[in-house]
Formats: sequence, C-alpha cells, structure tokens
Amino acid sequence: MEESNSQLRHPAPHRRTGNSENGNAGLTGRTHPLPWWAAGILLGLVQVLAIALVKPMGVSKQFVVADARVLERVAPEYSENHPLLSNEQNKKFGYGWWFNIGIVLGAFLAALHLRAWKVRTVSAWWQRNHDAPVLLRLIAGFCGGVLLLLGAGLAHGCITGQFISGWTQLSLSAIPFTITLFGFGMLVAYLVYPKAPSRFRREE
Amino acid sequence: MSTPIVGLIMGVIFGTSLVLTGLTNPDKIIGALRLKDFYAIRTVAVFLLVAMLGTWILDLFGAANFNIKPAVILTVLIGGAFLGTGLGLTGFSPATGLASAASGRIDALITVIGMIFGAHVYILIYPSIVVPLEKVLNFGSLTLPQITGSSAASWVVPIFAAGSFALFITRSRKPRDDEQRIKAGDLGMNEEFPDPLSPIPIPRQKGLYLKSDCLKAASVFRRWKNLLFMVMLLCLLLHQASFWLVSTGQVEITENTNPETPVVLGADSLQADQSGNSEKGNAGLTDQAAAPAEESRNLMLFGFDVTFELLTSIVRITNIILVLTSVLYALIMYFGLGISFKGGLGGLAHICGALYMALIIFVLLLPWQNFFGPIAMGATYTPNELVSWCTTDISDTLGMVLFYLRFTGYWALVMLLLLLAQLRSFRWARAIIR
Repeated sequence: MEESNSQLRHPAPHRRTGNSENGNAGLTGRTHPLPWWAAGILLGLVQVLAIALVKPMGVSKQFVVADARVLERVAPEYSENHPLLSNEQNKKFGYGWWFNIGIVLGAFLAALHLRAWKVRTVSAWWQRNHDAPVLLRLIAGFCGGVLLLLGAGLAHGCITGQFISGWTQLSLSAIPFTITLFGFGMLVAYLVYPKAPSRFRREE
Repeated sequence: MSTPIVGLIMGVIFGTSLVLTGLTNPDKIIGALRLKDFYAIRTVAVFLLVAMLGTWILDLFGAANFNIKPAVILTVLIGGAFLGTGLGLTGFSPATGLASAASGRIDALITVIGMIFGAHVYILIYPSIVVPLEKVLNFGSLTLPQITGSSAASWVVPIFAAGSFALFITRSRKPRDDEQRIKAGDLGMNEEFPDPLSPIPIPRQKGLYLKSDCLKAASVFRRWKNLLFMVMLLCLLLHQASFWLVSTGQVEITENTNPETPVVLGADSLQADQSGNSEKGNAGLTDQAAAPAEESRNLMLFGFDVTFELLTSIVRITNIILVLTSVLYALIMYFGLGISFKGGLGGLAHICGALYMALIIFVLLLPWQNFFGPIAMGATYTPNELVSWCTTDISDTLGMVLFYLRFTGYWALVMLLLLLAQLRSFRWARAIIR
C-alpha cells in the first residue's frame, strides 16, 4: 500500500524535469515553466511598469539605430542626406538600446538559472517537417529575420512595439497590424510547418 | 527617467520574463500559429489584458507615458504582412529572437543577424519607397477612444471583461496527465494510456477508491481556497487603497467626527459605533449639500466621484468580508489537512504550514482595537479610526513611522502571510494532485 502510494504520488520522477529545455525535452517542446495566466500577468505587469517609468516597450527600432550608427561612420555623406538617418533620434544609444541589451542579459541569466541554456539549432516543428534540418533552418531564420525587421520598420514597430504596445494604448494602428500579422503568420506557418510534431497527434 | 540604467533594468526584467514564460521557444509560437498549442495565445491574451487594464489605471492617475505610433494604414498593413511572414517562418519575434539567442539558440542568433540586415534594407529603401508610401492613408497618432469620442473606460472595461470571460470559460478542463493516469489506473483502463516510461501498477486495493474520492474532494477544496484567496486579496487591496486615498488627501474627509472617541471604546461599542457612523454620514451628506464647492474637490475614478462616504462603506464591507473569508480560508485549510490525512494523499507539511498561516491571518485581521482599545490592534481598521489618525497632527518622525506601520506595515504583514499561505497550499495541491 505504502509503496503504491508513493508511486502514485510521484508517477515518474525522471519526467518531472522542471523545465522544457532539459534533456531532449527541447525537441518535444513539451512543458513550460509558468502556467499561462501567471506568464501573462507577469508580462503585463512588466509592460505597465515600463509605461509608468518611461514609455511602452519596443525592440525593433534599436536595430535601425545600430545600423544608423554604423552608416554614420562608414558613409557620413549618405547618412546626412538620408531622411531617416539624419534624424537625431536615430543616432543616440539611449534607453531603448540599453533595454535591448537588458533583454539579452536577462534572458541569458534566466536561461542559466533555469538550466535551460543549451546550444540548439532546430525546433521540434522544424524537425518534424523538414528532413535537412540545420542549414535550411538557419537560412530560413536569416530570411525571416530580414523580413521581421523590414516589416517592423514599415509598421513603425515590431510585435512588442506595435501589437502589444499598440493594443495596450488602444491605438488605431494596432488593428490593421493585427489582421495582417496573424493572417500571414498563420498562412506561412501552415505552408512551412504542415505536419504537427508527435505530441499533438494521438500517439502518446 | 529614460536613463540607460533604467533601460537596462527594464530590459533585464523583460528578458527574464520572456524566458520564464517560455515564449522564447519557437515551438510555442509556431504551435500557436498552427492553432495546435494555445499556451502562447493565452499568455499573450492575458499579457494584453493586464497591460491594457494597468495602463488605463495608470492613466487615471495621470502616470502613464504614452507613445502612440502613427496610424499609417497602408505601411502598417504591409509591415504586418512582412512581420507575419517572418514570424511564421522562424517562430521568433524581434524581442523573443533576442532573448532566444541569448539562451543558446543558434537559429535565433542567425535570425538576429538577419534582423540587422533587415534594418539595413529598411534604411536603404526608406527614401525611395517608404516615404511616398507613408503619405497614403496616414491618420496620424490616433487612438480608438479618440476616434469614437468615448472614454477609454468604455473600451478597456468591456474588452477586459470579455477577454477574461472568454479565457475563463475556455480554460482547460482536462485533468493533467498525472491525474489522468491515476484515474486510468483506478478504473482499470491502463491500456488506453500506455506509457513505457512510467508504468503505473494496476491497483487492486479498495483503498484506491477512497483515494480518488479524496483527490476529487481536495480539488474542490483547492478551487474554493483559490476563490477565497482572490476575494481576500481584492479586499486587502481595496482596504489599502482607501487608506492611501484618505491619507494623501485625495479624498476629503467630510465627516465631522471628534477624534478622541473611536479607538478607546468598550467591547459592546460596535453597534454604537455603527449607529453613530450613520448619523455622522447623514451629517456629512447635509454638509456636502450645503457646500457643493467642496464636492468638486473629490477624486473622479471610474466615471463616478469617490466621496468619503463611499470609502467608509467600502472599508466597512471589506472589513466584514475579510474577517469572514479569513475564517473560511482557515477552515478550508483545516479540511484540506483532514482530507489529505484521511486519504493518504501526502503534502501534509505544506498544508499544516498553510493552516497555521491562515490562522495567524485570521487572528491579525480581527479588529482587536474594538475590544482592547489601543492595547492590541488588528489589521482591519474602522473608518472612524482612520479619520482620527488622519486628522491628528503628526509632526514627529516616530509618529509618522507609527502611523504608516499601523496602516501599511500591518497590512503588508497580513498580505505577506496571505501570499505565503497561498504558496504553501499551492504546493500542497501540487503535491497531492501529482
């Protein structure tokens, strides 16, 4: 009786690894450290804090700023006549730049703390859908990155800056942004990742 | 406040929470876009709702720093399409890409490099393509309340209510894997859940029926316990908020109470207090009618103005609710202890700790000052007491410290204990349901 009790209470100690990135769990994408509501409340409070202290969060603009700084060194003449680069706001590393550095730092420390820091190249969905995973994944990642920042520039903000902060402040621009973001996102995800990894099929 | 160090700290907080929430995992994003995994969707929905509500509340106090992007519909549509494509292709957004690269994903690192190139492309095409495009359908920095001409409350409150309701009714009712396994073992349906990693012994004892029954009962108790916790939390927050509103002078004290009477009264003074209060409340009302100029100095919140009468009734109601719910909270802990003991479910240490803390909360919350006068005080305060504290002139530091210790320090202690009790009982629930 006692033994079966303990086994029931701890059905599989070796599977309770605590976070998703341990062992091969990174390839199954199985668990997540926080329940969804706690995660959402945490992120929401971070945004509220940011609005109370400085301004709504935004990430993508600093990529342009960094590029502007480089171009200022490399081609000063070009950047002087450029309508975007000549703007003083795009020349200095201020709050936003350090915000991005903070994201990298915080994520690194958190990953170390959760023992989730692990070199990985493919995700579970990619593994499931594509036979030649690594190189293609990196190329896709690069193209995706170019598209992400191009889109962020055109839309005056990335997903954090336009979608989250836009809805947070109830700005008009968030509505068309949301429509195309999720429309194209779901379409492309459907085309690129047609097959679901095993945990979503009724095998387990 | 836009100094680099604030930016760095905010960034660290945001990056940490991105990793903690698991949104850095591209599988979560792709799963959400493919509508297979609703974790990211729900997280982002809660994120938006909480941020929206918080920003609105900040705005009510005038503390929000807005940065509204121009609504250039055409470029926003195109940009959204590009972003969506990038998101669907990689599973990273710019923020999670950075965070994910920092947690060791090579593909995220490549994506970040791609983003730098993307910024370069954007800069290159800006003069020739983006500038003309931005002239089309440019509405400037507009918000939805501005367009409709309504207040922000009429947007935020319905969206928050509808969103929370939708999230609540669509929450997963499916028991967790482990619960399912226990149930499966109990009903002898082990074949349907073959799991080579953790073979569940097929149970033959009758005790298991009792155990599963106890588990169900425990989950009922857990649910009620969480509800009571939420109620107590809300009441405590209201209580504290009304203290701050009064003590900072946001709300005028309209009752003409004499400051000597309220604290030092005998045990049977509660009723006298109440009746006295209602009289005073009436007096306050007539006062206000006589002097409408004073009314305009009251705080406007949520569309109606907060008068001192309202605050006193809020404090009284929260006092009643707090004391009652703390009794129920402690009782539920007690029953939970009994159930996990009877059913042999485990987690006894946690529930014992939680029970003890719930009892301490109950003891601290009782309005002892009504029985013993200033000898012993409870964390709850009556409106009269608040008035008497606020109207007396406190000039020395010790007095100020005592004042804030009594109203805020005491409250913080109770809050801390409540959170600890909830944490312990949460561990209990996790230990038995696993």
